[in-house]
Amino acid sequence: MLGRVRTRWRPAMLTIAALAGSVAVVACGGPGSSSSETSSSTQSSTTASAQAPTCGTEPVTLRAYFETGFPLAGALAEEFSKQFPNVEWDIREDQFAVLTQNAPRVLADDPPDLMRLPQVSELVKDGLLKNLDGYAKAFGWDQWPASQLSQMRLGEGGRPRGEGSLYAMGLNFSMTGIFYNKELAEKIGMTEPPQTLAELDELLAKAKAAGIVPIQQFNGGATGGLAFPLQNLMAAYGPPGPINDWIFQKPGATIDTPTNLKAAEHLAEWIEKGYFVKDANAIDYAKMMSRFIDGEGLLIFDGDWESGTLDKQMPGKAGFFLMPPAEEGGARAAMSAPLTYGIAERAENADCAAFFLNWVATDETARRITVEVGGSHPMGPADAYMPPVKEGSVTAATLAAGATIAEDNGAMDFIANATGSIYAKGWTPNLQKMVAGEQTPKGLLETVQRQYESELED
Amino acid sequence: MAGSVRDAIVDLTEARPEASARRRARSARRSAGLRTPAWVGWLFVAPALLVYLVFVLRPLVATFEYSLYRWNGIGPSTWVGLDNYREVFTDPELLKTITNAFELIVFFSVIPVLLGLAIASVIRRIATSRLALVGRTVLFLPQVIPLVAAGIAWSWMLADDGFVNQVLRWVGLDGAARAWLGDFSTALPAVGAIGAWVLLGLVTLLLLSGMSKIDPVLYEAARMDGAGPLREFFHVTLPSLRQEIGVCVTVTVIAALASFDIVYVSTQGGPGNATMVPGLEIYYQAFSERRIGVASALAVVLMVLVLAFVLPIQWLTRRGER
Amino acid sequence: MIVARRETWVARGLLIALMAVTIVPFVSLFTTALHESGTYPDGISWPSDPHWENFLDAFRVAHMGELLWSSTLIVLGVVPVSLLIGTMAGFAIGHLRMWGSRLLFLLFVLGLTLPFEGIITPLYYQMRDFGLLNTRWAIILPLIGLFMPFAVFWMRAHFVNMPDELSEAARMDGANTWQLFWRIHVPLALPAISSLAILLFLWTWNQFLLAIVLVDDPAKRTMAGALGAFQGQWGTDMPLLCAGSLLILTPTLILFVVFQRRFVAALLQGSLKG
Repeated sequence: MLGRVRTRWRPAMLTIAALAGSVAVVACGGPGSSSSETSSSTQSSTTASAQAPTCGTEPVTLRAYFETGFPLAGALAEEFSKQFPNVEWDIREDQFAVLTQNAPRVLADDPPDLMRLPQVSELVKDGLLKNLDGYAKAFGWDQWPASQLSQMRLGEGGRPRGEGSLYAMGLNFSMTGIFYNKELAEKIGMTEPPQTLAELDELLAKAKAAGIVPIQQFNGGATGGLAFPLQNLMAAYGPPGPINDWIFQKPGATIDTPTNLKAAEHLAEWIEKGYFVKDANAIDYAKMMSRFIDGEGLLIFDGDWESGTLDKQMPGKAGFFLMPPAEEGGARAAMSAPLTYGIAERAENADCAAFFLNWVATDETARRITVEVGGSHPMGPADAYMPPVKEGSVTAATLAAGATIAEDNGAMDFIANATGSIYAKGWTPNLQKMVAGEQTPKGLLETVQRQYESELED
Repeated sequence: MAGSVRDAIVDLTEARPEASARRRARSARRSAGLRTPAWVGWLFVAPALLVYLVFVLRPLVATFEYSLYRWNGIGPSTWVGLDNYREVFTDPELLKTITNAFELIVFFSVIPVLLGLAIASVIRRIATSRLALVGRTVLFLPQVIPLVAAGIAWSWMLADDGFVNQVLRWVGLDGAARAWLGDFSTALPAVGAIGAWVLLGLVTLLLLSGMSKIDPVLYEAARMDGAGPLREFFHVTLPSLRQEIGVCVTVTVIAALASFDIVYVSTQGGPGNATMVPGLEIYYQAFSERRIGVASALAVVLMVLVLAFVLPIQWLTRRGER
Repeated sequence: MIVARRETWVARGLLIALMAVTIVPFVSLFTTALHESGTYPDGISWPSDPHWENFLDAFRVAHMGELLWSSTLIVLGVVPVSLLIGTMAGFAIGHLRMWGSRLLFLLFVLGLTLPFEGIITPLYYQMRDFGLLNTRWAIILPLIGLFMPFAVFWMRAHFVNMPDELSEAARMDGANTWQLFWRIHVPLALPAISSLAILLFLWTWNQFLLAIVLVDDPAKRTMAGALGAFQGQWGTDMPLLCAGSLLILTPTLILFVVFQRRFVAALLQGSLKG
């Protein structure tokens, strides 16, 4: 037996020695090249010619990576191909969470020409996105109202946002707030939208008493939709400025502030009183929409990208109002941001993609599609063509709300977009825990702030 | 391990009585060889060895290497020694993936094997009937479909308005109905149930085939000694199934520790961190968070864990066999 | 054997119950696939107006023809090559037993319990450096490598039992080693090879991790990988997702039912020897 052991061990030792040897050889330098992958990202995008780029006349295939369930991008692509028959599209779609997960890898190793990118700070830091300043100058985007583009400007290294070079563009800028079911609202005697937070609380209580689900909000899977009401509450209790600073990664910004704490506590109250649908942690965005359209639920916190769908599937039965402030007559704020798209640094047809983005903002048919299918305001010069909107439709309501927010200077980006993974690793798990009763309001803000800071350090 | 493996193979072959004779003849012949020069043998192995070296061993070594650096996959990397391992063992999120994997072992491994033993010992009596032949085909279905498909089918069944809750409501247990995969406390067991469904058929059939190899004379003897079905099970069936049980446990434990497909498609690790498993976390860390070093350290820990379970199981169930 | 009547009935009942539990998810997929696209039916319920066209829609939307073709190509790339070189290696290690074959065997056995996640990260960068990302080769080549431990193990187990006299006789007739291998041993090893082929086919067709990490285009993945992409794009439309899943399952199911005895035998032996 001993003899067998000895001969059995010899091959094992030889193997280990060989492996150790190869480790030594391979370890003579860490992985990763130090240069070739990342070209300088501060290079401007267009070459010497000041002429605006086009898609040319040769057949071109634009590779795009869009988000599932948002028909606007696809509809615009179709119309674009009609107007420019030499351009074909190769569109890949994925759900929000998978899209954000795949972004770094896809942009680096299999770059599409155009990609839906909710969050771009880290991508800019890694040099994965094209600097659009050149296009902005060539197409005249910098002549548009500055506020449209400011959220897509980033400084050196991706921080802070709000100023610097342009790295993304939007097809439109969205408006968020509260959609409500008009029929159910009648049942509980709601005649006009609530003007204060207290009135809103009353409405929710009435709905609950009447056996109607007060808030049908998604919070399941990889997307914690309670971030919408949370941020709305934050803006109801305090000014939007500090929230934007935090989202834009301005040094020293924190989400753990006294007014935000009040907002989180108010949210916890709503959870405790059972105002949210029982299985919020299990339903995703699509489920929420499906239920709301079926009439299950008085309110949802959502954005005007659904206005078109709601006008089509619940005509006349859906209404919209902005989140009321905590105090009577206070300023209103709402999440209002472009749904951002970026062009990969190594995209093959960057010029054509940029041309498409410009077309979306300037072409009449495109703008019409943006309003009708996307339900929201197109980007572009302040005096650009605006298609007529049906009176009393949800779309009309959301567009009108845009004017109010512009007046009150209350536009915010989404807290989910502060960093590349703050949503997946910070907000979503902690909001889900809060719904399950396993996280406190203070704990929520502290944990998210900690996660935020550790990501910024990396 | 090589020796016991060789013994096991010999035992598994059809002609058992001739095995020992063959072994003697073989060892006598080993020194003479087949008069084939060594280089010819190596030539035959070369293609397999080459592909294995390039696409398995080299990446394996690279994983070890990456685990000692901090790298984001694009730029240069920095040496951090064992820091990544320290993070794996102190970060509660990462540790949770490991404890989740252990919990999944209960569902993927312990439950199917216990159930399989019970079921197989009952079904044994009709093992040759036509029903059993149909049963064999049906019970294998979960092994034939991709795990992703099982995940999709079960995600739907475990949803709030899926079949499982439909049944619960039918029998009046409305209170128990919930979104199984979305609830913090039931998500991991629910994922475990999916795995159990995938593996139960295979385990039962493996044990059944092992049981059918047991000499009926042993059972007759036990009956004549007055043993009831329970004593029969513990004194005749179980000891003879040692090897099959070892195989079942090995296969199911590896499935639990290395699980990826099912979790990816059903919960993506959620809600929160409740169903995050090492395999999925490695994927996120490497390709979404771009923390290659931590991902590789976790991968190394996972591989060590697999060996830590499989080697003792193999040793326990193969030792002492003819 | 003394068998009580009651025990037989209990056994039958148990087996039927187990079969029912196994089949239920498939039934659920099927009935849901027939509901109107975009709706969420209640559990298992037969729709009042079955939408059979959902299957056609899923076929079209998923480009099922392309997926089948892609998976087939990958299988054709992986399985024959793996069989050949695995058999050659098994032959050398199990029958020729040249100097160092024990060490080689140990080396292969090392990879038997390797979880694919253990090497997926470096594999990605390796494929990127080779320029093979997003091509079918990115799945084919690593899979061949990853199948080697099992293939070599399996074939060696067969060759170890081939009597040396057989080869000695052939040698005396003047056969060289290749002829020995190809003309004599391979035909004898066909049962083992065909079982191995079935296992490798299944494992390739159902391969998911490699497909979604190394290949972005669903039309270049395996069926299982394409199902992942399908779920990503259409996952919110439950009836469509169910229809698509069933369609993607069907090829393997059909093959399984046709060759069931070989499959079952292969799967059982494969687990025992693994």
